[in-house]
Amino acid sequence: MQRANFCGRTRREMLWQAGAGFTGLGLTAMLDQEGFFGKQSVAADGVTEWKNPLAPRKPHFAPKAKNVIFFYCYGGPSHIDTFDYKPDMYGMDGKTVDVKTFGRGGHRSKGRIVEPRWKFKQYGQCGKWVSDLFPELATCVDDIAFLHSMTADSPIHGSAMLMMNSGRVLSGHPCLGSWVNYGLGSENQDLPGFVVMLDPRGGPISGAKNWSSGYMPATYQATVMRSQGDPILDLSPPGDLKGGGQRRILDALRKYNEQHQQSRADNSNLAARIASYELAYRMQSEAPEAVDISQETQETQNLYGLNDKKCSAVGRQCLLARRLIERGVRMVQIYSGGAHNDANWDAHGDLVHNHNLHAGETDRPLAALIKDLKQRNMLDDTLIIWGGEFGRQPTAEYAKGTGRDHNSYGFTMFMAGGGIKGGVSLGTTDELGSRAVDDTFHVKHLHATVLHQMGLDPNKLSYFFGGLDNRLVGVEGAQPIWDIIS
Amino acid sequence: MRSCLTILCSVLLFAPILAADERADFSKDDIKFFEEQVQTILKSRCLKCHSGNAPKGGLNLTTRELILKGGESGAAVDLKDVGNSHLVQAIRYESFEMPPVGKMSPKEIGVLTKWVELGLPWPRKLQAIEFHTDAGPPPVNDETKKFWSFQPVKPQKVPPGSGNNEIDAFVDARLKEAGVTRVKPASAEQLVRRMHYDLLGLPPNPQFVAQWVARIRKPNGALNQKEVSRLVDQLLESPHYGEHWGRHWLDLVRYAETNSYERDGAKPFVWRYRDYVIQSFNDDKPYDQFITEQLAGDEIRNPTPDSVIATAFYRLGRWDDEPADPKLAFYDDIDDIVTTTAQTFLGLTVNCARCHDHKIDPIPQKDYYRMVAFFHNVRRYGVRGHDTVLSASVTEIDRPGDPATIKAAMDRYNNDVKDATTRMERIEKIVWEDLQEVEKEDFQFDMNKIPILQKRKGTLLNDKQFNNYVNQFNRLKKLRENKPKGLASALCVKEDVVNIRPVHVLTRGNPHAPAEEVAPGFPSVLSPPPAVVPEVPDGAASSGRRRVLARWIASPANPLTARVMVNRIWQYHFGRGIVRTPSDFGFQGSKPTHPELLDWLAARFVENGWSIKDMHRLIMSSSTYQMSSQGNADAYAADAVNDLLWRFDMRRLSAEEIRDSILWSNGSLNSEKMFGPSIYTDIPAAVKHGQSRPGAGWGNSAPEDKVRRSVYIHVKRSLLDPLIESFDFADTDQTCPVRFVTTQPTQALGMLNSEFILKQAQVFSEYLSQSAGGSLKDQVQLALTRVMQRPPTAQEVQQGLDLIVALQKEDGLSPEHARKYFCLIALNLNEFIYLD
Repeated sequence: MQRANFCGRTRREMLWQAGAGFTGLGLTAMLDQEGFFGKQSVAADGVTEWKNPLAPRKPHFAPKAKNVIFFYCYGGPSHIDTFDYKPDMYGMDGKTVDVKTFGRGGHRSKGRIVEPRWKFKQYGQCGKWVSDLFPELATCVDDIAFLHSMTADSPIHGSAMLMMNSGRVLSGHPCLGSWVNYGLGSENQDLPGFVVMLDPRGGPISGAKNWSSGYMPATYQATVMRSQGDPILDLSPPGDLKGGGQRRILDALRKYNEQHQQSRADNSNLAARIASYELAYRMQSEAPEAVDISQETQETQNLYGLNDKKCSAVGRQCLLARRLIERGVRMVQIYSGGAHNDANWDAHGDLVHNHNLHAGETDRPLAALIKDLKQRNMLDDTLIIWGGEFGRQPTAEYAKGTGRDHNSYGFTMFMAGGGIKGGVSLGTTDELGSRAVDDTFHVKHLHATVLHQMGLDPNKLSYFFGGLDNRLVGVEGAQPIWDIIS
Repeated sequence: MRSCLTILCSVLLFAPILAADERADFSKDDIKFFEEQVQTILKSRCLKCHSGNAPKGGLNLTTRELILKGGESGAAVDLKDVGNSHLVQAIRYESFEMPPVGKMSPKEIGVLTKWVELGLPWPRKLQAIEFHTDAGPPPVNDETKKFWSFQPVKPQKVPPGSGNNEIDAFVDARLKEAGVTRVKPASAEQLVRRMHYDLLGLPPNPQFVAQWVARIRKPNGALNQKEVSRLVDQLLESPHYGEHWGRHWLDLVRYAETNSYERDGAKPFVWRYRDYVIQSFNDDKPYDQFITEQLAGDEIRNPTPDSVIATAFYRLGRWDDEPADPKLAFYDDIDDIVTTTAQTFLGLTVNCARCHDHKIDPIPQKDYYRMVAFFHNVRRYGVRGHDTVLSASVTEIDRPGDPATIKAAMDRYNNDVKDATTRMERIEKIVWEDLQEVEKEDFQFDMNKIPILQKRKGTLLNDKQFNNYVNQFNRLKKLRENKPKGLASALCVKEDVVNIRPVHVLTRGNPHAPAEEVAPGFPSVLSPPPAVVPEVPDGAASSGRRRVLARWIASPANPLTARVMVNRIWQYHFGRGIVRTPSDFGFQGSKPTHPELLDWLAARFVENGWSIKDMHRLIMSSSTYQMSSQGNADAYAADAVNDLLWRFDMRRLSAEEIRDSILWSNGSLNSEKMFGPSIYTDIPAAVKHGQSRPGAGWGNSAPEDKVRRSVYIHVKRSLLDPLIESFDFADTDQTCPVRFVTTQPTQALGMLNSEFILKQAQVFSEYLSQSAGGSLKDQVQLALTRVMQRPPTAQEVQQGLDLIVALQKEDGLSPEHARKYFCLIALNLNEFIYLD
C-alpha cells in the first residue's frame, strides 16, 4: 500500500514538504562549497548525507549544454515580420480574408491583412530568409535552429508569460531557471545560479512572478541583476564601511555567534548562518568583478554595440550574460522590452515603429553574443533561446493602422548553441502565418528540449508538492524536439 | 511451484514456433544488443500499454512470439520487409504515432529499427520480458478504509508516566521504549522568551522576563508550574496573540490581497478577512464554528457580518481576469477551492484526483467532482473589470444604525462619487479623441488611466487639468474604500442559483469533455454519511450546499478534522507536527510519531468545545514543551532527528517575527494599532523596477503605519517586501502548511546593507542614547539586552565596546556611526533570530 519512493521523490524533497522548518535544510549552495558541510557528515534528519539545495548535482545523462541564455522578447514579436517568410502575402495588404484568430480582442474569423512591412533576404549556407529587421543576426543563421510552429495555451500576456516561463498558465509555479537550478545546482558559489536582467524601461507585466520559484524554496528563484549601479540588491555596504569597517563588524559578529554556538554545537543551522555572512562578503567583491565590463577589450565592447546608443543597453546585458555564464551562472534571462505597449514588442499600434525600435536595439547584440561565444568556444555548451510569449496575427487589430494582435496559434522561436543544429528551420505555419500546421510544437516541447540539453530528463525531473509529482513539462510529459538536436 | 509449472507449460507451448523460426539462433553480440539496449527501451516506452492480459490494440510486446503474432492490425514486424513493419512505422510516426506522448529520440528509434533488421534477436532463455504494470490507484474498500487516519479517533488510555501532564506520559512511553532519556527543563529565562514568541510572535520586554523568571524559578531551580500557567493565561489575553496565530491560519488559506496576473489588482476589503481571523483567534472561537463560518457563513441560520466576512475564504485565490479558456478558468478556480479546503481542513490531497483517480490515496476521480459539486454554484470572483468583482464578490454588510442617518450618509456618498466622476469625465473628454485604439481599450482599467493622461500633459492637458484629474482619481479611490458607516462592504462568496447546472466528472480534467453526472458527496473512503443537499427555495441567494459540507467537516464524527487541527497546533508550537506532513494525512503522508497522543489530543480538543486556547494551555504546561533545546550525545546518536521529543528544537524566527523584533528592539514598533486596511512598507526602487509600472499598486503609508506589525503589510502577489520575502514568507498562490527555513547569503546582504536595516540601526542607536543615558557601556548593555532579552555577560558588553572603539580608531568613524554599526551587529546576532 505504501510506496517508499513515489515517482522518484527524494527523501530530501519529502523533508522539504514535511517540515523544512524543523530540519532546516534550506541552505544555499555556497555553504557546501565552503567545505563546512563536508565536515558535518549527517543532515538534520540524522539519516541522509547532508546535501544543500544549490550544490552542483549530477545530471541524468551527459549534458550537451552547461548554461542557458534566454533572450526573452516580451510582448510577442511578429514572426511573419522577422523569420517566418510569407512571400505570398506581399501584395495582399488591406485585403479582407477569412482567418480564425484569437488575441486580446477575442475570437475573430475575418481580418484585414497587414502585409509584412519588411523585405526578406536569404542568408548563410542554409539560405534562410530573414527580414531586414535583423541584418546582423541574419549572418548567424547557420548556427541557429528556427522553430516556426510554436504554439501556446494563451494569447493573453499575463497567462502566456507564465506559461513561457513556468509551463503553466496558472500563477504560482516555478520557472524554467528554477527547475534548472533545482536539477543541477550552481557551479559558482559566489554568484547567484539564476540571473534575470530587465529592460531599463521597466519589468514585464506580473513582474517577479515571471522569475519566481513558485512552490519551491526561494533559493531557486532568480536574482535580478542590474547592468548599471549596484548589480544586486543590497550588495554594497554603506560607504563608511567600505574600507576595513565591514570586515571588522563581520569579525565582531562572528565572535558573538561562535560564542552562542559553543553550547549548541549540534545545530548546523547556526553554523550555516555564520557561514552565510562570509559568503555574502565574498559576493560583494565577486559580483562587481563579474559585471565590470571595463575588463573587456574595446573590440569586444564594440562588437556588442556598446559604442552605439541605440543598442548599448542590450549590448551591455548580452556581454554581461557571457561574463556571467563564464563564471558558472547556470541561467541568464534577458528581457528585451519592458513596461507596456510600445516599450516592448507588443505592437498593437504602429507595427513599423515598434519593431524597428526593438529589433534595432537587439539585432547587433544578439549577433555579437553568438559570434563572441563561438570564437571563445563557448557556443557548444551554451544554449541560447530567443522568443516571446507568443507571435502576432497576420491581420490588423483595428480598422486603421498596422497593429497586430497576439497569436498563440503559431509563432517562431529560435535556439542556438548547446548541442542544437545550426542552419535548420523546423515546422511551418499556414500561408498567412496564422497558425502552425506542420510539426506543431508546444511550449512544453521547448522546455523539454532545454532540460534535455542540460542533461536532465524532462519526464523525470520532478518536485513533489501538494500531493503531486510536479514537472515543468506537466503530468503528461513531453519529448524534446529531437529534430533540432545535433 | 505453481510458477514453475506455468513456465514449463509455456515453454512446451511455444517450442514448435521456436523450432520453426530459422533465425532463432542469434549471435552473442545480437543477444547482448537486445539485453543492453532494446529491452530498456521496450520497458520504458512500450510495455506500459503493450503487456499483460489486455494489451492496447491487442499487441503484446513481451515475447518474441507475440510480437510476430501481432495485434489487431496484424503482425507487428515483417522480418522480410523491415520498413513496412507496423512497429517501425509507428515509432517513426509514419502510420500510428507511438508512443503517443511524443516521438522517441532518434537514438531509440535507431535501436529498435536495428533490432527489427537483425530479426528480433531474443535470448533463448528469456521467455517473456518481466514487466510489472503499476498496480493502479488504490481502491476504496474495507482494507483501505482501515488506514489509521480514515478511522474514527479512538479513545486512548493514558500510559503511566511522570511529567506535568498526559502529553508527557505518552511521550515518556516512547522514550522509555527506545531507551532514550529526555534532557532537563529549559531555564526560566529561555522558557519565558520561548513562550512569549510562541504565542505573540514578539520579543518579551527584558523587565517582563525578569519579573516572570522571579516568579517561575523555584529556589531549587525547578519551574513553578502554577506560575507557568499564569504566564500562559496572561499571554493568551494579549490581543497580539491573534496577530501571530492568525498569520499561521493565513498561510493555510493562501491569503493574499491581490489577484496576480497582468493587473495584479487589489482585492477590495480583503483585510476584513484578515481581521476576522485575528479576532477569531483572540476570541478563542470554537474551531468548528470557525470552519463553518468560512465555508458557509452566508448559509448558516443567522448570518452575521463576521460570518459573511469569513466567506472571503473563497476569494483569496488568484484570479485571471482574461482567461484564454473561460471554462477551464472556472474549473481552475474551483480546483483552488477544493485543494485549499481539502488540504487545510482534512489533510487530504483530493486535488490529485482531478484528472484521474488519485494515484496514492483511495480517492476516486468521482469523489473529486462530488466535492466540486459543493462549490459549483459559486460565482467566479469577477468577470473582468472592477465592477464585475463588486457585483460577484462584494456585499454590504449589515451594520446597525438608524435608517435616516444611513440614508443621509449614503446620499452624501453618492453625490461625492458622482461629483468626482463628472470632473474626471470632463478631462477625459478633452483627450478621448486623441487616444489610440489600444489606449482606449486599456482605459477601462483604473491602473492605466493616469499613465495615459500623463502622456498628454503639456500638450492637450495643462498641468492644472492633469493635477486636478489625479486629485479626483485619488478622491474617488478613497471614497470607495471608505463607504459611510453602516454601509461597510465586505469581500464574500456569492452563488448563482438561478440555473443550478449539473456537475460532471471531467475526462482527464478537461472541462470540454464532460462524462458521468455526479451529486455532491464526501470522500467515500472516509465512510461518510450521505450528503443531503436541500432543495433551493425560491428567492434563496445560495444553494445551501456549502453548509452541508461545512457541517460534515466540522463534525466530531469526522475522522480527520480534529486530528489535522491539533496536529497543526502542535506543529506551530514545536516546529513540526506529530504527523510531519500536516496537510497530507493520506498514504503518502508520514505516519504520526505518537499516534496515541495525536488521538488523545484530538479527542480532548473536541471534548473541550474545539477550544484552541485550551490546547495551548495543555501543550505549554507539558514537560515536553518545557524542555531545554540542549543537545545530548547519547540521545542524539539514538535519534538525531528528535522524533522521540527528547528535547525542544531550536527554531528560527519567521519573516514577520524578524521584522517585528527589529522594530521592537529599537523602540519603533507600533503594535498598538491593530486591524484595518493594509500598510505599505518602503520597498526599494530597484525592486519596484521589476514591475511593468514601477510602484503600481504599492502605496505610501504614514510613518507611524510603516512600523506596524508585519501581519498588516499589504500582500501583493507580484511584489513582496524584500525582507519578508527573503526570510521565507509563505507561498501566496497555494496553501502553505509549512514554511521553508532557508539560510542564504542574500539574507545576510539584506540584514547588513539594506536601506531598511541601516535605518533601523540608526533608530536603535538614537534609542540607546535616549534610553540608556550617556554611558556607552550602558548603551551597549541595553542594546544587547533588547535583542537577547537577557542580561548580557560582561564579556559580551566588552566586545561591543571594543568594536565601537576600533571602528573609530581604525576606520575613522564618528562615535555615532560606530555605535550605529554596533547596533547593526546586534540585530544580526544568531541569538536574536534563533530561539532556544
